[in-house]
Amino acid sequence: MKPAPFDYYAPDSVEEAVALLERLEGEDVEAKILAGGQSLMPMLNLRVARPDALIDLRKLDTLKYIRDEGEVIAIGAMTSKSDAEDSGLLKQQQPLFQHASYLIGHRQIRNRGTVGGSFAHADPAAEYGAAAMALGIEMKIVGPDGERVVAAEDFYITFLTADIDSTEILTEVRVPKMAPGTGWSFQEMARRDGDLALAGAAVTLRLEGGNCSEVRVAVFGVNGSPARIAEAEQLLEGSSPADELFRQAGKAAAAAVDEPIADVHGSGDYRRQLISVLVARCLAEAVERAA
Amino acid sequence: MVRDIPNSPDMLPITSTRYVGKAVKRIEDPALVSGTVEFIDNYSVPGMAHCAMMRSPHPHARVLSVDTGAAEKMPGVYAVLTGEDVKKWCNPMATSPEGWGAYCLAVDKVRFVGEPVVAVAATSRYVAEDALELIDVEYELLPVLVDPHKALEADSPTLFEENKTNVIQDRSYTWGEIDQVFSEADHVFTEKFRWNRCGANPMETFGCVCDWDTVNDYVTCRGSYQTPGFMALGRAGSFNLPSNKIKVISHPHGGSFGGKGGPRGTEIAALLSRKAGGRPVKYIEDRVEYLLAGAGQSWDRYYKASIAVKADGSVSGFKVDLLDDQGAGSEGWGTISVAKPLAAFTGCYRIEAAQYNMKLVVSNRAPTFAYRGYGPPPHNLVLESLMDIAARELGVDAAEFRRRNYIQPEQFPYTIPSGNEYDSGDYEAVLDKVLGMADYQALRAEQEKLRAEGKLVGIGVASTVEPGVFDWNAYSTVGVAGVGVPEGVKVAIDIMGQITVTVGFSLEGQGQYTLAAQLVADYFCVEMESVRVAYAATDVAPPHFGPGGSRLGVAMSGAILGACQKIEDKFAQVVARLMQTEPGNVELMDGHMRVKGVPGAEMHIAQVAGTMLNRSDLLPPGMEPCPEATYVWTAPNRNQPDDQGRCRSYLTAANACHVALVEIDPGTGVTDILKYFIVDDCGTRLNPATVEGQIQGGVAQGVGAAFFEEYVYTEDCQPLVSLFSDYLLPTIHEVPIAAKGDVVTPSPVAPLGAKGCGEGAIHTTPATLMCAVNDALFPLGVQIRETPMSPNRVWTLIQQAQ
Repeated sequence: MKPAPFDYYAPDSVEEAVALLERLEGEDVEAKILAGGQSLMPMLNLRVARPDALIDLRKLDTLKYIRDEGEVIAIGAMTSKSDAEDSGLLKQQQPLFQHASYLIGHRQIRNRGTVGGSFAHADPAAEYGAAAMALGIEMKIVGPDGERVVAAEDFYITFLTADIDSTEILTEVRVPKMAPGTGWSFQEMARRDGDLALAGAAVTLRLEGGNCSEVRVAVFGVNGSPARIAEAEQLLEGSSPADELFRQAGKAAAAAVDEPIADVHGSGDYRRQLISVLVARCLAEAVERAA
Repeated sequence: MVRDIPNSPDMLPITSTRYVGKAVKRIEDPALVSGTVEFIDNYSVPGMAHCAMMRSPHPHARVLSVDTGAAEKMPGVYAVLTGEDVKKWCNPMATSPEGWGAYCLAVDKVRFVGEPVVAVAATSRYVAEDALELIDVEYELLPVLVDPHKALEADSPTLFEENKTNVIQDRSYTWGEIDQVFSEADHVFTEKFRWNRCGANPMETFGCVCDWDTVNDYVTCRGSYQTPGFMALGRAGSFNLPSNKIKVISHPHGGSFGGKGGPRGTEIAALLSRKAGGRPVKYIEDRVEYLLAGAGQSWDRYYKASIAVKADGSVSGFKVDLLDDQGAGSEGWGTISVAKPLAAFTGCYRIEAAQYNMKLVVSNRAPTFAYRGYGPPPHNLVLESLMDIAARELGVDAAEFRRRNYIQPEQFPYTIPSGNEYDSGDYEAVLDKVLGMADYQALRAEQEKLRAEGKLVGIGVASTVEPGVFDWNAYSTVGVAGVGVPEGVKVAIDIMGQITVTVGFSLEGQGQYTLAAQLVADYFCVEMESVRVAYAATDVAPPHFGPGGSRLGVAMSGAILGACQKIEDKFAQVVARLMQTEPGNVELMDGHMRVKGVPGAEMHIAQVAGTMLNRSDLLPPGMEPCPEATYVWTAPNRNQPDDQGRCRSYLTAANACHVALVEIDPGTGVTDILKYFIVDDCGTRLNPATVEGQIQGGVAQGVGAAFFEEYVYTEDCQPLVSLFSDYLLPTIHEVPIAAKGDVVTPSPVAPLGAKGCGEGAIHTTPATLMCAVNDALFPLGVQIRETPMSPNRVWTLIQQAQ
C-alpha cells in the first residue's frame, strides 16, 4: 500500500497553482490537487488514483477563512472542517451547515480535511452535498480565465465529478445565511458513528400562517450526486404540517431516487427506505424548530 | 521432590498477598504508551530488504506462466521469488487433518483472491510495489467452488486435486442415547442458523524480518508471533530444516486474537532472504492484505440444530449439524474451531445426550484462521437461541428456563456428554446476581410498557461456559495428536536479590507479564519492581506454547509457582545446612527462609541466593550453586480421547451470564443496545482489572460479530471487503461499557483456583444480542437467525412481517 511515483508541488499562491495546472495540462501531465488528503491519500496508497503530479494547496493560508459577508458566509476552500464545525458564526447564522460539518467522519478527519476538498471531491456520501442543495450554496472557482461562480444545482455532475475543469481550483464556498424563523434538520444513517452515510437528508422550511413554505428537501448518499427532491417539497409547500404528510413526502423522495447504490452495507431498496424515513424525520424536526 | 501447585492464594508463603488478587497497574504499559516498545515495523537492520507480494485476482485459476524478467532487472530489486523457487525449497504448510495446506506462494494454481503468487525483495516497499507492476502472470481460469453445500457433490470443482475431494472431514459423533432422548421428548425444536464469516482484526497486522543464514542454513524469524515455538516447528517442517535450525523471536505486538504470526508471510520473507543471498527481508502486511488473505477470517458456518425438551421444561438432547466453509485450505488451523465446541458442547446445562455432525469443506474463499473463542461463540449462539425458542413455546421466562436446566453446584466435577469435565461452578448464583443487577423484573415490566407504545424492545439472557486451558486432546476430532501443552518459565534470583522471570511469549496486550511479576513478588515477598519479566526466543526458552485457548494466565501461574517451589526447596537445603537442621524443618514465609518453631532463626531470600552464589564453602557438599529454577507446567489428569472424541480436555470451566436490553428502529432496522449487564465466574481473579479488560474486549468483539463484521464475497467468490470502510469494527460509539459483577467459585484443580478467562465475553455476547433482537422482533412474528444482524437484514425481516 504505497503510492506509485509522482511529482510533488506546493505552490505559494492560487495564481501560481493555476499557472502550474495550466502548464502541466499543456505538457499532458495528469495533475491532482491535494487539499487535506482524507480521500485522496488512501486512493494514492491503494494505487486507485495514480496522478503524475500532486499539487498540494497546504501553503494557501489565504484560503483559510470563514467570513461574514452580509447575506452570505464565505468559507475559504482550505478551511478545515473542524474550523467550520467550531465556527460561532456558522452556529448562529447557518446551523445546518455547521451540523453537517460535525457529521463528517471523525474529529481527526475533520482536522485534516478541508471544506473545499470535500466539495471538489464530490463524493455522493459527503454531507456537504446535501447542505449545498438545501441551502443554495455557490462555489467560487478560479482558472486561467479568471473567476466564475457555480450554483449547487450545476456543480455536481456525477459520482466523484464536479464542475471543475482540470486547470481550475475551487477557492471558496458561499453559504447563504439562514433566515430567522427557518426550521432545519440534517439527518443521516451510517453503519457506525463517523462512517460515510448510507443515506441522508437535509431540510429547511418556514411556517407561514401554520403552513409550510419555502420547503427545500435534499438527499445524499444514495446515488451518484446529491439532489433536491421537488416531489417532496411540493407535497409540503402550503400544507399544514402533519406526520402523515411527512411520511408521504418521505415516500415521494424515496420514489424519486434513481439507481440507488447497493453495496455490502445495504441494498438499493434499503437505501430508498432510509431516504423515506430520514426525509420524514427531517421534516418533523424542521417543523419543530420552525415553530 | 514433587509438590502440589497451590490452588488458592491463601497457600502462598506470605501472610497476606500484596499483589495477587489486586487490580495492580500493568508493568507493560509505560513502555507501550511511551512508544519505546519495539514493534516489528520499528525494527530495522543495515542492508535489510523490503518485501511486497503480487496476489491473485482470481478465486481459482491455473498459473500458466510467470514473467519476472523486467522486475528482476529493475534497479533496487534484490530478489524475485516465484512458485518454482518455493516448490524447490519448501513444503506445503502443515495442517490438521494433513494435506490441506498450500505452498506459501502459488505453485501451479491459485485457490483464492489474494493468494500470493510472486514476491519481491527490494530496497524499499515503494520499489518492491513498483516492481510488482512489471511482472506478468498468465492465468487459465478454473470453475469456482462457491457454495460450500456443493463442495459435497462429486462434480464440484476440486481445489486440492490430489485429495480428490473438497471435504476435509465429514464425521458424526454421538454421545448418549440420542435417538431415544429425541423420540421420548415432549417437544423438539429445530432451527437453521447462518453465521457469516468474521474474525480477528488486531490493531497491528502481521509483520516479520527473516534472515536465512546461507552459510549455516540457519533461519531467524523476528516478528509479531503469538505462538513462537509452534511457528518455529511448523517452519522447520516447511523448510526441511532440523527443528533446532530455526529460531523465532517474537516482538511485542499490537494484539493477536488467535491468528498473529502468518506462516505464509514468514516463509515468503525467509525464502526471499535465501534467494537474496542471506540479506534480511522485512515483510509488513498491510491492512488490505490482512483483510483479503491474512489471519482475519474465521467461522463461516451453516447450522441446523435441534433440542429435545420434556414437558417439565428440562432439556434432554441437543443435535447439531454443522457445515463449515474452511475456505481454500486449512493453513490457518480453522479446523480446530470446529472441534473445540466439544469442550462445552452442552453449555451450562444438564443435557444427557448430544450429537455433532460436522462437515468441513473447502471453497474458493480465503482460508480461515483461529479467532478468539476458536469456534464456540457461534455454537453458543445456536444453543442459546434454541433455549429461547423452547422457553417461549413452553411459556417459561428465558431466565427461568435456563435456571431449570443448569448443572447444579454439587454435581461438579461434571462430565458433559461430549466428554469434557467441568471443574466447578455455581451457575444459578451467577444468574441471580446478573438478574439483580439488571433489575430483571422491572426491565421486563418496562419492556411491556414500551411494547404497548409500539416500540420494538427486547431483552436477551444468555449463559455460557468458557473452556479454559486448552489441551491438544480437545482437537483429536480433526486429527491433532497429543496430550498436554507444556508451558515453562525460569525464575532466577541474582546475587542482589533481584528476580528475573524468563518466559517464551511476548507482549500482545493481555497483561501476563504483570501477572508474572505479581505472583513472584508475592511468593518471595518482594516489591513488584524487583521482578523483571524477560522474553526468551525459541532457541533458549523453556518448552512453551504461549497465549491461546484461555490458557496462559493459568498455565504460566502453574509454571511460576512450580519454579518458585523448586527454588524454595533448594534454599531450604542451604538454610538447613547453615542452621544445622533438616531441610524439612525450613520453610519460606514473608520472604524469609525460617526454621520452624525457632523464632529469629531465619534468612532473607536475598541472603540465601547470595550465599549460594558467593559462599560455596557453606553449601551442602556437592550442591549446585544455582538460585534459579525452570518449571514446565502442564494441566494435570488429561487423557487420550476415545473413539467419540471424549476426553478431559480443557482444565477449567469459567461461566458467565449476560443480560442485554435492545431497541430496534423499525424504520431503519438499526439496533441500539440500551443496557448491558455481565456477571462472570472465572474462579480466583488474579488481577481483577485484567479480567475486566478481557471481558470488555470480548464484548466489543461480540458486538462486532453480532451487528457489524462480515467478510462478504460475491457470487463468484470475489471478496467485497478489503478496507475498514467495508469490514466494520465496532468503535467506542457502538460498544456499550457493560455493568459488570462477579461470582467467585475457585477451580479446585487449577493453580491458585483461577480459571481461564482470556476469551471472555465473545462466548456470550453474540448469543445474548441475538436473543435480545429476537425478543424485540417477537411481536412482529419474525425472527433473525443470521449474523451479523445488520440494519438491512433486520429491516428486511420487518418488511416481511408487514
